[in-house]
Amino acid sequence: MTRADWVIVISAVALLPFLYALYWGNAAPGDRVLVLVNGKEVLAASLATDQEFAVDGPLGTSHIKVHGGQVRFTDSPCANKLCVHTGWLHHGGEFAACLPNRVSLVVSGLNNRYDTINF
Amino acid sequence: MQLTLQTTREDHRIAWLAALAITIHIAESALPSPIPGIKPGLANIVTIIVLMQFGWTTAVWVALLRVVVGSLLVGTFLSPTFMLSLGGAVASLAVLGVASRLPGRGVGPVGYCVLAAMTHIAAQFWIAYWLFIPHDALFHLLPVLMTAAVIAGLVTGVIAHAVLDRLSDTDYGRHPAAAAAD
Repeated sequence: MTRADWVIVISAVALLPFLYALYWGNAAPGDRVLVLVNGKEVLAASLATDQEFAVDGPLGTSHIKVHGGQVRFTDSPCANKLCVHTGWLHHGGEFAACLPNRVSLVVSGLNNRYDTINF
Repeated sequence: MQLTLQTTREDHRIAWLAALAITIHIAESALPSPIPGIKPGLANIVTIIVLMQFGWTTAVWVALLRVVVGSLLVGTFLSPTFMLSLGGAVASLAVLGVASRLPGRGVGPVGYCVLAAMTHIAAQFWIAYWLFIPHDALFHLLPVLMTAAVIAGLVTGVIAHAVLDRLSDTDYGRHPAAAAAD
């Protein structure tokens, strides 16, 4: 390894974290959350104020919490609690859904991370 | 009328080395890849060794012949894959040309391979973006592709270094300038 080799290898490795920060770190944070029950919007709230909601679905009541610009399900009457395990969301376009209780929430912002998602 | 082509020793050398590069290129295209579009670029080992043993002009011949003939044999000639392959090869040859003219002790096989791999990916990414998928979402792939390029460059560089070590033991087919420098 010559000195030029070291310069090339070190700058190449140093470039990588910079690339990740530039292209993975810039998804704009969302500013609003929409809550849907059975596909219909029942609630829209700002992420700027900390608050909690109780939303009724076919199975029971889902609990949603907004805190520090993030939002999550805190409790749900469903069996596997996938919606709760989704955790905190704050990027535009991120979403969590409780299919058994038909409740879902989606973060909206100026710059959404996803246009469409298909399953 | 009979047509005879005068071939030089240099022509034969390029043909042999290109054949070697093409063989590796085809063998590699048969290898499964964990992520589509990412491959180690083993054929570039030949390009780097040729660059260091016989100089840049020979390396250009070998690399371009590898891209054209390799694509004819694999069946991707003039397809998008070929455009990406050719663009990557031309860009990395240009960068290698500059790097090989650096003063001092110059660059070794590892540096050349990392430079070539990263230039390859950067050029291919640019071509893919401008010709095929002009969507900003493509940029989310760039960090992953660059990480793969750096790893591939290091791996191929170490292999090239090992091969060059063995070659210097035999002194076979050395570039006169390189031999004189020892």
